[in-house]
Amino acid sequence: MGFFDKAKKMLGLGSEPEPDDVPSPAHEKRAANVHDDDPRVLAAERAGKLDPRRKDKRPPLVDAPPAGPGVDDALAVREAGDKAGARKMLQDMDKGGGLRTVLRAAAAYEAGDKSELSQLLPVIAKEEPRYKLLLQVASALDNAERAKGYVHRAEAEKAPAWALGWAKAMSGNPEVKRHGLVELVFADHALARTVAARDLELPGVEADPEAGARYAAFVHGRNSIKRFGAECVAGMLDEAQKVGGA
Amino acid sequence: MRSTLSLYAMDRPALQAFSKDLRALLMADNRAELANLLELRGALAERLNEAERAIDWFLKPDTNTEAAPLFSSLRRIAKKRALTLSWTSPEASLEGRLRQYDLLREDPQIASRIDKLLNPSRLPWFLVLPGAACGWIDSVGRIELAGLLRPIRASLPPELVAFAEALAEVDGDVIAHDSL
Repeated sequence: MGFFDKAKKMLGLGSEPEPDDVPSPAHEKRAANVHDDDPRVLAAERAGKLDPRRKDKRPPLVDAPPAGPGVDDALAVREAGDKAGARKMLQDMDKGGGLRTVLRAAAAYEAGDKSELSQLLPVIAKEEPRYKLLLQVASALDNAERAKGYVHRAEAEKAPAWALGWAKAMSGNPEVKRHGLVELVFADHALARTVAARDLELPGVEADPEAGARYAAFVHGRNSIKRFGAECVAGMLDEAQKVGGA
Repeated sequence: MRSTLSLYAMDRPALQAFSKDLRALLMADNRAELANLLELRGALAERLNEAERAIDWFLKPDTNTEAAPLFSSLRRIAKKRALTLSWTSPEASLEGRLRQYDLLREDPQIASRIDKLLNPSRLPWFLVLPGAACGWIDSVGRIELAGLLRPIRASLPPELVAFAEALAEVDGDVIAHDSL
């Protein structure tokens, strides 16, 4: 086939297939046989899902398994009033650590399920870095006095200056908030601007994109704890401290 | 026009003392003393009172028209207290040469010291401007870098040779900055 013929064919201008475009019977047979015994093809054929235009009988693409529910879904169910349903979702999605386990344990604590709680508390007590959950709870609590205790515990766990500053900056106590903002500015100015813009919505302040990842890594946990109910998570955390330190 | 890199001799104890004073005044929200520290007068001193807290001014972008003079004063005073201009390169290409020149990049000892000198995250926040090339290196690192550059001077372009000579002549710790 010449260059112009090939170009015509590519543009769909050719009317008759050229001899070398016609698949030979052997070629057709070979293409068909590759998948004749493929159970996915047979199943697709039975279900009428096999594209008849495809001579190679390639099986249809399998849809990716649907993503399971996440923490946000469970919190939405909880906010809709179905605490038992949300607790079941948290149990199902728990992977043995992190925020899902924390919220699962908080739900068990709330339900008074001591058996489940006793299994989860040792895991939470060993969560690293230990200061992170303490400060997320402190930031999520509305009660400034109550929050102070978790900040002190985080300080004892050698929380970095930026994390302590951020937690203090979220305080309802104006003096603690100011101290937190100053500490955060001196520890991480870009993060301070981001916290001031996003969390405190200070007029004229803009989030610094340079701190975006650092901000997101901390804030999802804090917001989820707040949505769940910070008092309840704090109560569970106090129980975890009795078990092993957190 | 792009600024060129300068080298400043840094009085580290003086810079630390300034930083400590600034922090204490911001913590206490002592705006009158903060105005004194930053040598603010008249309307600029009054401006500090217009925010809920003094620290709020330093959370605004450096480009904010109302905050910009406060940032400028802050840098000016920090510079006055702790920095002495030692040398300014006339060549806009110096920063690119330092970051990219093969001979420098191929030597990990040289490259790591240059990267330190141009790493803004190691400077106090009030000396960092968005997009500025800046950083600092202590006296030991400066002497080592100057020593490592000396034997390869013949293979370096003129702007790097001038930089190497200036680096050797600064006293003590050094700050590199293109926007102070």
